[in-house]
Amino acid sequence: MEETTITRIEELKDIANEVRFRIVDMVYRAQSGHCGGSLSAADIVTALYFEIMKINPAAPDWPDRDRFILSKGHACPVQYAALSLKGYFPLDELGTFRKLHSRLQGHPVAGKLPGIEVTTGSLGIGFCEGIGLGLDAKLRKQDWRVWIVLGDGELNEGAVWEAAQAGSKFHLDNVTAIVDRNRLQNDGFCDDIMPIEPVVEKFRVFGWETYEIDGHNMSEIVRTLHVARQVKGKPTCIVARTVKGKGVSFMENVRDWHGKAPNSEQYEQAVRELRGGRT
Amino acid sequence: MNLPRAFNPTRKAFSEQMASRGAESDFAVFESDIGYSTYSYLFGDRFPERYFNFGIAEVSTMAAAAGMASNGRTVFVAGYGVFLTMRALEVVRSFVCYPHLNVKILSSHGGVTAAIDGVTHQATEDIAFMTTLPEMKVLCPCDTASAKAAFDLALKTPGPVFVRLMRDPLFELYPEGTSFALGGSKVVREGSDITIAAYGDMVFEAIDAADRLAARGIRAEVLDLYSIKPVDWAGITASISKTHTLLVVENHQARNGLGTYIGDALLQTGASVRYDHVGLEDRFAESGDYRGVIETYGLCATNIEAHAKKLLAANQGR
Ligand SMILES: Cc1ncc(C[n+]2csc(CCOP(=O)(O)OP(=O)(O)O)c2C)c(N)n1
Ligand SMILES: [Mg+2]
Repeated sequence: MEETTITRIEELKDIANEVRFRIVDMVYRAQSGHCGGSLSAADIVTALYFEIMKINPAAPDWPDRDRFILSKGHACPVQYAALSLKGYFPLDELGTFRKLHSRLQGHPVAGKLPGIEVTTGSLGIGFCEGIGLGLDAKLRKQDWRVWIVLGDGELNEGAVWEAAQAGSKFHLDNVTAIVDRNRLQNDGFCDDIMPIEPVVEKFRVFGWETYEIDGHNMSEIVRTLHVARQVKGKPTCIVARTVKGKGVSFMENVRDWHGKAPNSEQYEQAVRELRGGRT
Repeated sequence: MNLPRAFNPTRKAFSEQMASRGAESDFAVFESDIGYSTYSYLFGDRFPERYFNFGIAEVSTMAAAAGMASNGRTVFVAGYGVFLTMRALEVVRSFVCYPHLNVKILSSHGGVTAAIDGVTHQATEDIAFMTTLPEMKVLCPCDTASAKAAFDLALKTPGPVFVRLMRDPLFELYPEGTSFALGGSKVVREGSDITIAAYGDMVFEAIDAADRLAARGIRAEVLDLYSIKPVDWAGITASISKTHTLLVVENHQARNGLGTYIGDALLQTGASVRYDHVGLEDRFAESGDYRGVIETYGLCATNIEAHAKKLLAANQGR
């Protein structure tokens, strides 16, 4: 099994921090977008792009690449930040997010920007698209994988469970779903809006191999993603316990920061916390 | 255009009215996790026992509304237009409209008003889907007074009603307490050269266009077709009998919008009318600020003005 060294883990943590800065910066410059769910997924998305996935930014259409799907498309600042830091497009372009004629649409649009595999934004759909992609990899007898990041509120959508059945039926061991379990959705805490526990058990009884991890512990994330890759005969689901708004103190665990842009003072403070270490 | 700026979008005005009517009527409100966007939480805060948040699950929310309505209670379902009119479309058609149930749809972010979120959040085909359904009534207010009235109309009209609302606050057109009727319309500018008919945010673009045309000596009549289905035939006929020229403007796909319906009906009556429409030209829009997007895609006063001039030039050749 592949391993990741301790030094590499430290590098990944630094990259995740840079991803976080880019998220806040992007949403601030657009004065629109979703900070909370982008920040909670930053460590997971960083691990995937910078350590786990078989990808080549210079050849975004390489047929054997792994496919990444951000099913919770509203959190696209995290994906745009990772893609640009990885070299898919210039960092400057992050400043065009959500603006007219930008390739960085409000929700990810396939074909507009290199690295975006399928269009998402309507919750529940990206996960189903991932099942279809996984099936085609099997049909073509190719060994690339599909990595899908879902929101926990997103699990309310019935379509997720319909596709979960299919993933199991078709033995899609090339599909890994990671649930960003930040415990918040749009209107409040998941427990109040729509309780979804026991999430891990639900995926398990749907026939998926399951894991539960700390979604901000880089070595645990990387280790579990390596393990998921080895599972044979069924799809894998990793439920990652996270904090919505992770890394910016005043955004952490606050419903209001689901889809709000920081003002200049808040932006300054966020940058201090992300770049200067927390006081 | 010298109209006062609105503080609140129509989605909020509608929900405020919903909260204020909650005491006198025992309707329920169903939400699917965007209560802070639809402002349905205003009702929920006052009447928690009749407010049900189903989470992010539009299809089952709509079907549950049909179930509750089948037992005689009126249910308002709140959500974004894209999800309610497309993901839940079969439920609306076969299990709300077909049995003629009292399910009322509070449809926020109509047209490209969810501009900045991009195409997945822009409801630009909703009027086509909803007006096509038998039994369904369709309303689209443009300001606070008409949004409040739209709530009252939805509540008192038997059967399914769809109300298209906007994301952004725009302008105030009508004094508080103005009366609106199902199947009604308003003449918001009088004129005799061309009739410009619009609904929702496009009413303001039409007024702006009328002002621009006036500066060139063209007197445009602007109709607010806030009742999209049933539409006010008497009002349209009265206006075009003066102008013989009709331009329908909508924040929607031009194909299969209200314009298509009106144009088709005019052909059937054999009326001698020059007709054109302004809408999305068989394409998707994109992310951007509201103003930038409507201007890029021609859903704006300058494009209305251009279409009007072309139409009138064609008229002169007759
Ligand atoms: C089908 C659908 N319904 C509603 C929405 C509006 N919406 C956007 S984000 C969101 C809450 C998402 O919560 P969660 O999946 O937990 O995401 P996260 O907390 O990671 O941001 C909602 C309801 C949507 N994008 N798609
Ligand atoms: Mg969440």
